Amino acid sequence: MISDRVKRNLTRTFRESMLPKLGLVLLVVIVVMAMFAPILATHDPTRTGYFHEEGGPYPPPGFEYTTTVASDGEIGDVEVTSTSEHLLGTNTVGQDVYSRFLYGARVSLLVSLFGVSLALLMGVPFGLVAGYYGGRIDDGLMRLADVMLAFPALVLALALIGVFGSQPIQVPDPIVLAGVADGMPESIPIPGSVTVVVALVTWVWFARVARGEALSIRNEEYVKAAKSFGTADWRILLKHVLPNSLTPIIVLATIQMAIIILIEASLAYLGFTGTTLSWGYEIETGQDVLRTRPWVAMVPGIGIVLAVISVNLLGDWFRDALDPNIEGSERGA
Amino acid sequence: MSMLKFLLRRTLQGVFVIWGVVTVLFGLRAVSPGDPASLMLGQGATQELVERVREVEGLNEPIYVQYADYLGSLVRGDLGYSWRSEREVEMMVLERVPATIELAVAATVIALLIAVPLGVVSATRRGTASDYGATLFSLLGISTPNFWLGLMLILVLGVWYGIPYPSLSGSGSVPIGVGFVDLPTGRRAVGFGEALMAIVQEGSFGEMGLWLKHITLPAITLGTYFTALITRLTRSGMIDEFGKPYVTATQSKGLPGVLVRYKHVLRNTMIPIITVLGLQMGTLMGGAVITETVFNWPGLGLRLIDALGVRDWPLMQGIILFIAIMFVTINIVVDALYTYLDPQVSVE
Amino acid sequence: MSEDLLRITGLSTRFFTDEGQVNAVSDLDATVERGEVFGIVGESGSGKSVTALSIMDLVESPGEITAGSIEYRNADLAADVREDHPEAVDGEFVDLLGVTSSVRRSLRGTAFSMIFQDPESSFNPTLTIGEQIAEAVEVQRRASATPRLSRGVEYSFASLMASTVLGSKKFVTAESRERAIELLELVGIPDPVKRAEEYPHEYSGGMLQRAMIAQALAGEPDVLVADEPTTALDVTIQAQILDLLADLQEETGMTILLITHNLGVIARMCDRVGVMYAGEIVERGTLADVFDDHVHPYTEGLLGSVPDLERVGDRLRPIPGNVPSLLDDEMDDRCYFADRCPKAMDACLDHPPSYDARGEEHAARCVLAEMDYDESRALPEGYFGEGERPAADREAEPHGAEIEPDGAGGTRERGENE
Ligand code: SF4
Repeated sequence: MISDRVKRNLTRTFRESMLPKLGLVLLVVIVVMAMFAPILATHDPTRTGYFHEEGGPYPPPGFEYTTTVASDGEIGDVEVTSTSEHLLGTNTVGQDVYSRFLYGARVSLLVSLFGVSLALLMGVPFGLVAGYYGGRIDDGLMRLADVMLAFPALVLALALIGVFGSQPIQVPDPIVLAGVADGMPESIPIPGSVTVVVALVTWVWFARVARGEALSIRNEEYVKAAKSFGTADWRILLKHVLPNSLTPIIVLATIQMAIIILIEASLAYLGFTGTTLSWGYEIETGQDVLRTRPWVAMVPGIGIVLAVISVNLLGDWFRDALDPNIEGSERGA
Repeated sequence: MSMLKFLLRRTLQGVFVIWGVVTVLFGLRAVSPGDPASLMLGQGATQELVERVREVEGLNEPIYVQYADYLGSLVRGDLGYSWRSEREVEMMVLERVPATIELAVAATVIALLIAVPLGVVSATRRGTASDYGATLFSLLGISTPNFWLGLMLILVLGVWYGIPYPSLSGSGSVPIGVGFVDLPTGRRAVGFGEALMAIVQEGSFGEMGLWLKHITLPAITLGTYFTALITRLTRSGMIDEFGKPYVTATQSKGLPGVLVRYKHVLRNTMIPIITVLGLQMGTLMGGAVITETVFNWPGLGLRLIDALGVRDWPLMQGIILFIAIMFVTINIVVDALYTYLDPQVSVE
Repeated sequence: MSEDLLRITGLSTRFFTDEGQVNAVSDLDATVERGEVFGIVGESGSGKSVTALSIMDLVESPGEITAGSIEYRNADLAADVREDHPEAVDGEFVDLLGVTSSVRRSLRGTAFSMIFQDPESSFNPTLTIGEQIAEAVEVQRRASATPRLSRGVEYSFASLMASTVLGSKKFVTAESRERAIELLELVGIPDPVKRAEEYPHEYSGGMLQRAMIAQALAGEPDVLVADEPTTALDVTIQAQILDLLADLQEETGMTILLITHNLGVIARMCDRVGVMYAGEIVERGTLADVFDDHVHPYTEGLLGSVPDLERVGDRLRPIPGNVPSLLDDEMDDRCYFADRCPKAMDACLDHPPSYDARGEEHAARCVLAEMDYDESRALPEGYFGEGERPAADREAEPHGAEIEPDGAGGTRERGENE
């Protein structure tokens, strides 16, 4: 389990360096953004049509632009100004960029959280059993892992989406249902099949690490002792092997979480998630107007970078403190 | 065991992995929804026609027969026909390979050229401004999705600072990166091979200049993650290595500092990094898919996305298979290189 | 009596770690004569290895030599540096701490070379033994062809980068390779031509230590610093290595600075001895002075457990009490041994003054050098509180297993890995 030594190392590394603190603060900010998006948002993120009276989307401060309009038969340049109503402006279809930024955090975090959990549930038991019993199961797992690793993560994800399609799931929003935030959507679409797909793409890393740990732990004296007392294998796995392999699995989970955020963003950017409320998708819509409305693509990208940095910083912190010595893994984009 | 035997064994393993990949791809296609014959023919095909196609393509056979057929044709080197364009998949894959390889190699070269010196500086001058700079850069580099990075590079370099860039001509609705491609043929303006030939045969450097101009931003986009990753690995690897007793012992011989740092420490740091790079080839290929999409770079990745959009399974399978073969091959090479560079690892 | 080769005065080496300042070596005085074997003996963590590293100028951040001088007699060197560093030159002696680091580096290999405790980790695992020894030869070859002050600039960046990927044979010439094979033969490695092409992991521990000695001889040094040269080896091999060192010294007439915790090694090899405790040399003299006529109770304690000199055990028997903390905050200004000293008196609460480095041959840093033990002035039992641990506790950790050198390796590594 999490031993005292581990705790001490964690606190020491935390105190010594600024980076883990930064990561933690960032993550807290992003989690708060995601959780309380309906309260923090100023507009319904899905409502379109917030345009400047001259027709163009609102720019954020500093991005004012001129547009050519024809009125009363005359053609003239009109300055499109920013408004405090839409702090980060609006996008090409007139949606509030700030509100979509908050909801984007929600989608990103939900997909990565569920994706990692699913991958853990698939990979860890498989890996533990394979490492503990060895033999055929183990060989099978290792060969399967070799095959899985021959696919680039993103390419495999794309192929799997080719099979599963892109099914969004409507997730009801408890905050809105509680009546705290009026005018916000009652449910938001989460890319359901994408969540499954990212888990299918990443689980093998967990299986490999869990296997390695189980392999080394099964020869420990205390495991042998437990065996000699006639303890059932599943109990040994649960009580001894699993707790002792937690450290590297936690570190791997943070690494994978960052990777999943990036994969989700990439898939959304390519338009394969079936949802439009996503940082990646937002960047895609901003790409066409990059020259004239650069903020549309800029803002969500900053969200992705901050989210991934925060998770990576925590991952580095865990890795430095726990030093599980696991090999790196592959990222999506 | 000799190197030759080692290579043979690894190749055999690689073949098994590829067989696994093929099986997975076949399985995916088999379970994917939608009738292949209808997909092949597109909408509006008559029921009769669909039935005929099912018959001809062997789609009414039991699944294991289809699998055996598929394997058989792959062994013969036949990847089938694209459902959409009705061209041979081999051709469609091979014609796109150079563009992707050029991009991947350029990205790797950029990454190594920047990352290794940066990692060395960072490790040898720890705690200085350059070290913090390098650390910050590598943190950002591994955390930035490359499609966004590509767009921001175009925005900042091309739009705001007016650095001329081919993709930026035309009106707002023209896709970014259109300047790379000759639209009617879908081919690139110039490939590396052609540019090289132009220099050798005609002494003309214009083509190479054009090629460089085209590839620079995509390569930087794709290479940034690797630059960041290698910088990190080099830094932490060198710091670990500096702590080892042999470094003090080597210094005690009177060797100049540079010789200790490069010939001994950096060399020993890079040996394990090579293996990591082999494993990261998958990331590089995944990144290439995205980068090619952003820049409309006519490589395998762009074709894969196109094929996926229309569910052109034979083409998808062909491209993915090719990528997997590349991955396996590169990793065999990397393993061989590793055993050659690190005498402690025997080929056993 | 022969002439002094090395005069170390007031040497202090500190490590500035996160836990605080560590006084690894404090105000250390020693002289080493040409052609002798000078032994430094002490427990793990007494600062022996840091002393060696200080002489070699291999103390690394967060460590630093903060005070003192290391004077080395070398007429050529004195002539070379007189112009730039007049204040560092005293006759034929040059204060190494008063010249630039590039001058100090030029002395590594030629003036001083070093062999290390653990031969297996002291060679680069990815280069052949022959290559590494040839490298040491090559460095000296190039050095003697270039003026001292303009060395080490001849390596281009491109070829350095290439050396990281290629086998990098280019920094070593064929002559150096041949010389390396001769050296391997000299230290008794059979079939040296073949073995030169082998990698460290293909050697046994004893053979590696021989190879390391060969490497240290490459520059025909004046002083060979041997830091625990036999600790990591089997007993039978230990004797062979010591014999080899003794033979080589006889042949070449070089000076050996032998650092060990093993009194048997000292008794067998050394002409004169310094006993180190808590970063100080607490007693020094000839072998006979220290073994038969010692003053310092610590020396007594070291020897006390050894029934007679002929049967000196291969490791120190522990002395009751704590190994002293070298953290500056925890070091009181008193005799550092007082909390373990059976003869501690009130006078010992003042730090006994250092003896004169160039003075008497036999000297000790202890009040007993000036006065006799007076029981009435003894410190009461338990004066230093719970600092005293039961002896049994200490015995549980044999010395050979302790990580040596505590002051150098331990702290340095902590610093490097932050
Ligand atoms: S000075 Fe006093 S305490 Fe120190 S060793 Fe001598 S007698 Fe013991």
